[in-house]
Amino acid sequence: MSDSYLENEDDIILEDLSDEELVEQMHDDLYDGLKEEIEEGTNILLSRGWSPERVLNEALVAGMTIVGIDFRDGILFVPEVLLAANAMKGGMEILKPLLAETGAKPVGTMVIGTVKGDIHDIGKNLVGMMCEGAGFEVFDIGINNSVEDYFAALEKHKPDILGMSALLTTTMPYMKVVIDELVNKGIRDDYIVLVGGAPLNEEFGLAVGADRYCRDSAEAAAVAVAMVSERQQNSA
Amino acid sequence: MPERKRRRQSGGRRGKIAAREQGVTNYRPYIERKIPYFEILDDEGLALIEGNADILLEEIGIEFRDFPKAIDLFKNAGADIDGERVRFPKGLCREIIQSNAPSEYIQHARNPNNNVTIGGRRTVLVPAYGSPFVRDLDEGRRYATIEDFRNFVKLAYMSPNLHHSGGTICEPVDVPVNKRHFDMIYSHIKYSDKPFMGSVTHPERAQDTVAMAKLVFGDDFVQENTVLTSLINANSPLTFDDTMLGAATVYAENNQATMISPFILAGAMSPVTIAGTVTQILAEGLAGMAYIQLVKPGAPVIFGTFASAVSMQSGAPTFGTPEPGHVMTIVGALARRLGVPFRSGGGLCASKIPDAQAAYESANTLQASALAGVNFMLHTAGWLEGGLSMGYEKFIMDADQAGMLAVMLDGVELSENSLAMDAFREIGPGGHFLGAAHTQANFESAFYRSEIADNNSFEQWEEEGSMDCAMRANSKWKKMLNEYEAPALDPAIDEALLEFITKRKSEFEDRDY
Repeated sequence: MSDSYLENEDDIILEDLSDEELVEQMHDDLYDGLKEEIEEGTNILLSRGWSPERVLNEALVAGMTIVGIDFRDGILFVPEVLLAANAMKGGMEILKPLLAETGAKPVGTMVIGTVKGDIHDIGKNLVGMMCEGAGFEVFDIGINNSVEDYFAALEKHKPDILGMSALLTTTMPYMKVVIDELVNKGIRDDYIVLVGGAPLNEEFGLAVGADRYCRDSAEAAAVAVAMVSERQQNSA
Repeated sequence: MPERKRRRQSGGRRGKIAAREQGVTNYRPYIERKIPYFEILDDEGLALIEGNADILLEEIGIEFRDFPKAIDLFKNAGADIDGERVRFPKGLCREIIQSNAPSEYIQHARNPNNNVTIGGRRTVLVPAYGSPFVRDLDEGRRYATIEDFRNFVKLAYMSPNLHHSGGTICEPVDVPVNKRHFDMIYSHIKYSDKPFMGSVTHPERAQDTVAMAKLVFGDDFVQENTVLTSLINANSPLTFDDTMLGAATVYAENNQATMISPFILAGAMSPVTIAGTVTQILAEGLAGMAYIQLVKPGAPVIFGTFASAVSMQSGAPTFGTPEPGHVMTIVGALARRLGVPFRSGGGLCASKIPDAQAAYESANTLQASALAGVNFMLHTAGWLEGGLSMGYEKFIMDADQAGMLAVMLDGVELSENSLAMDAFREIGPGGHFLGAAHTQANFESAFYRSEIADNNSFEQWEEEGSMDCAMRANSKWKKMLNEYEAPALDPAIDEALLEFITKRKSEFEDRDY
């Protein structure tokens, strides 16, 4: 190695950083969407005896919170947030089996899909991605979902949250059909129900019996985290 | 032992915020048009207008009031003189202009990176000019002061989409009429390094402007290059006055550019039709530009037009309506046939405040100006109330539109990257492009991004105070003035300018005329 290379202040070695510095660097690396660096940082923290849960919360979720805030404030752009979420996913792949072993839960789980008649899924995909970024395990059941489709997914994944989206004014009322059926079956309170999509508003969300309307993907992730944690506290 | 990985530290949040604030656009000193001109008359129609303008010049003629020099020059050139009325043999003015006037010229700025080329396929965007009042959301409408003048010079300097510092960007009424030109010219030089316009309200004031330019650029440089472009209005219909001709003569003699601009409130100062109005504009423009070429063959001259339609209901000027747009489009075509640069347009409106009327009227005129092929777009930013008021918020809104005009005139790129075939191959049916490699590589500069338009959800907009565009623009200009840093000016030049101003101001009494 040449001397000039060593002297370059910008160069860093992740392994040489203290825990605190490394976590800070991982926040920066998440922000910049550097997947390999996040994977390496995750492994280093684990090798230093950090629990998978602590790595998830302090390094990854805390980092993605910053990403969410700056996305909302117009500093980060959509393609950059996608890169950040992808880097987060890299870390999650490492943590997932370890979390399962220790019996620790992820931040939460979520089933998400667009309602029957609606094939517009870019917004829903962004919500899924942001929630994954926030540490959720997201089961995306895609587009055009009937009551039966939603119920099958709820049965299978037993999520904390059911997320439904619609882009069309003519398809959004179907959310009420799904929620009414949850009520009929007596399982409405088993789930947090979040709804979203361009033609909705807060009033509509409450009128169809959802817990919250989320205006965009950054807010959806923040609301999801807050509501799951509130629920866990209430049940504790 | 595995190799220890070294890597460059990533910038994270701080790095991104800094990069975003800097912006991604490289400053371009002017726009180079890559789309066709919008034209609405064919050759036959344009030739008909040119023929009628010649008839106007030959049969009715133009008056050059209280200015014997013009009469003498035209007499020698072969025109028919009757007192102050000058009648021109068919084709005389056109011939004088075409054999002498440059089709384009460079106006030098004190920072050579900001030099502008005026003419051809270029468009130079220039702030509004001449308002006695200023307006902002905090203090409403009030007479402009030299402080306001400095503020607008600073804002224009900081606006990447404006290429020129302008001239009488607002009228500083707190300074005596016969001395305010010193403060205005000094402000343009001191607080900006973009090119600027000279004083035209008296030949002596034009001479002072040239003298100050010489202190900045050097005597020889000014004699051989254009460092000033100044606005000379015809006194329509069919009249030029001694004030304007006097200033024009000073600039031409010093090889500085003038834009000969009939100022037309159609229906009052010209006939009530589009065809009649453009005929008169051409006749007046030809006579004025020919005069300049007789004073100094080869001095840069711009064919200008400012046209508004007068409300037949009230007599008030109107803006952003279709007919003056047509006038501008036709005059643009006539200027190209003549072979001289073309001035017109801007963000014109009649609205008193930066509201919906202001926005649509201004958008109508700005886009029409860009399509018409305007080379020097005076009044691009700030204009309110038919030019009576210079708006701080309106300035910011118009400067945003100016950025969009530049992108519009850039046309469409057909490079391999722009054709984006790789993106299709990567994503295929049913996916989305937001994460595509092609998007990652191009998103930052892909689409015009306004700094004052709000595109967020209703809820976020409401949470952030339910602000309308003017309120957002209000924060923006205040932030800009807070962050303003003056461009470096050689202290010796600054001292020489201040010395010149002090000396000249002490040579005569303050006067308000």
